Amino acid sequence: MLLFVSGAAPSPSPSLSTKTLWSRDLLFHLAGLLTASVGIVLWATGFALSIGLAITYFGLIVALGTLLGCRWFARVERRRAAIVLGAPIAERYRPLQDARWTTRLYALIGDSTTWRDFAWTGLVGVVGMTLSSLAIGLWGAVLGLVTLPAWFWALPAGAEFGLFNIDTLALALVAAVAGIALAPLVGSIVRGLTVTEIAFMRWLLAPGREPAAPAADVAAADAPPPVALAPPRALHASFTLLIAVVVLLIWAMTGLGYFWPVWVWLGLAITVALRVVAERGWQARHDPVQAFRVKAELSGVIAAICWVIWALSGAGYVWPLWPMLGMATALGLRGLFVFRHRLPWIREQQLAERVDVLTRTRQGALDVQAAELRRIERDLHDGAQARLVALTMQLGRAEERVADQPELAALLRGAREDAGLAIAELRDLARGIAPPILADRGLAAAIEALGRRSAIAVTVEADPDQRPLPVVETAAYFVVAEALTNVAKHGGGAAARVRVQRVADDLVIEIADDGPGGADPDGGGLTGLRHRVEALDGTLTVTSPPGGGTTIRAQLPCGP
Amino acid sequence: MRAVIVEDLALLREGIVALLRENGIDVVAQAEDGPGLERIVSGHKPDVAIVDVRLPPTFSDEGLRAAIEARRRHPELGILILSQYVEPVYTAELLESGEAGVGYLLKERVGEVRAFIDAVERVAAGGTALDREVVAELMRARTASGLDDGALGSLTPREREVLELMAEGRSNAAVARALVVSGGAVEKHVRNIFAKLDLPASDDDHRRVLAVLAFLRSGMAE
Repeated sequence: MLLFVSGAAPSPSPSLSTKTLWSRDLLFHLAGLLTASVGIVLWATGFALSIGLAITYFGLIVALGTLLGCRWFARVERRRAAIVLGAPIAERYRPLQDARWTTRLYALIGDSTTWRDFAWTGLVGVVGMTLSSLAIGLWGAVLGLVTLPAWFWALPAGAEFGLFNIDTLALALVAAVAGIALAPLVGSIVRGLTVTEIAFMRWLLAPGREPAAPAADVAAADAPPPVALAPPRALHASFTLLIAVVVLLIWAMTGLGYFWPVWVWLGLAITVALRVVAERGWQARHDPVQAFRVKAELSGVIAAICWVIWALSGAGYVWPLWPMLGMATALGLRGLFVFRHRLPWIREQQLAERVDVLTRTRQGALDVQAAELRRIERDLHDGAQARLVALTMQLGRAEERVADQPELAALLRGAREDAGLAIAELRDLARGIAPPILADRGLAAAIEALGRRSAIAVTVEADPDQRPLPVVETAAYFVVAEALTNVAKHGGGAAARVRVQRVADDLVIEIADDGPGGADPDGGGLTGLRHRVEALDGTLTVTSPPGGGTTIRAQLPCGP
Repeated sequence: MRAVIVEDLALLREGIVALLRENGIDVVAQAEDGPGLERIVSGHKPDVAIVDVRLPPTFSDEGLRAAIEARRRHPELGILILSQYVEPVYTAELLESGEAGVGYLLKERVGEVRAFIDAVERVAAGGTALDREVVAELMRARTASGLDDGALGSLTPREREVLELMAEGRSNAAVARALVVSGGAVEKHVRNIFAKLDLPASDDDHRRVLAVLAFLRSGMAE
């Protein structure tokens, strides 16, 4: 569906040109006569049928059909305006192509344009019909006068024009001349009628002014402007009030019989209520819980309508109970579906599934991370490190060749030593990423190597029997590495003891020192360790009383 | 002198081959993986095999394992391991695996052409060439463990320097050159070290390094 039709005219709002031909005015009103007949029939039938059938659901369907019909009619009317304007009046609807039918419904009923269309369809019967009839009548009179000489003789008593009775050719000719003289006047009057009708059409059929089009119309033509979510309700309210008063007056003037206006009022109230609910539904279209609430409101409105109809129709058999029962059932089922996550047993099952998924994906993420780190280490080893070694070698060979030129040799040696430093730095980096000895020889050997490399005295006690999973092993390794770094940094040179053992299905790592203690368990380094351990469902405890040394204990499950 | 080389990265392998040939070492065969080492060693009977620790297919310590196996089968074969990493554990395993020449160097030492060629020749001749990083780490570990108050701790700084150079595999003359002292002074230091560490004195380069390492390893095993 088109959202915004600005037509071919360069200006977004085509204006009536004074140069417009009278024939176009005439065509506009001739077409208007036709459309007005269609509009009034559509509106009156739809409105009457909707209220008449409101007692059944069919009434609602007819009402929706009427609204759609009014939209269609309004689009035709906008194009009729093109006869005098040169381009159709712009239109802007909320998109109806949303997949969910409820959203479409809300878009239809909640759109202010729909109700403007509805209003115009009703109004065209009064405004359009009157103005167009007048225009056609005036031009008809001119036509009659001008052509009088051709047909006056056919009238047995002559043509009567007020005081004049034209029964001779001479008089008919005079009348024809008068008709020709009157034509410009009639043209102007009809122009006035056209202007009036176009003004009405613009008021109701042109899009509201809310979203100001961007300065560049090129962009506006490509991308439809945003549809206002809060359409003005004042118009709807004033129309409703107007019609309510008019029917009351008609009732009063026609002899105060059966108080039928109450039915019209009901119909009007229904339009207001439905529109309000539809607007809320449009806003809630992306939130299932909100949407459910709006559906409940809608059911409430329909129930209220039923009860009012029941009351107005004499409060006989309590039939509204049936539609209420139906709606309650539908609403209940819908509610069960929407809130199914809150059912205890389903919630429990979903949580269990979620935990399974999370466990699996976390394991997967850790495995991927470990594999990635190994890959990076391998890439460093085979890539940058190897190239630097080759570079060192070339520099060394060059150095040998220029042994007789000490300055050049010194330069080359300097370059070689720099390359050597780069290699050493890369080596430390790679070891920090994925220590090769851990992969090659396992945790016990890697921790012993850590101990040897440490600046402090470290005793290691590790069961080298069976190797846990690589992720567990890596985590354990880095726990020890970080802990030993901490001891070296804050332990005041105290010796450290590392113990790694299997306790049932857990790998337990303990790093103890006799340093000053008082370590902050939430310090940066320890928090990082805790995250690493907890990612494997392990626990990390830090015991560090001031003056009593520090013990870091990590327990890593490595069961099946 | 006949050498073989096992290295999976062509860039490095070809570079080392060129380097060795320039310096009069005959590279008789090359291989890219562990099984290749056994093949070329049994085929060519070289004096020394230069082996990268990390080789296909496992890319872990395949080269080291192959080298140890080759040493077991060919007791006369000198093995010089090249690695990107300093791992005293690997060194210890290598030393324990046989009596012939053995070396463990960081790869970038190939840039120090003289020292590298020396190391290759020393290993081929049954001597030892340990990277100074390896020795330094062993010494540090031994000191840090706090068990050396009576032994290593009693060494003077100069004696420690001498011990480190000895552990790298240098002869007394080489140690003297490195420290810019006389040969006699070095011999005196060596005697003192052996006395303090309670090691039997010996002139054999390899044996005395082994002795030093045996001592260091005793610290590692604690």
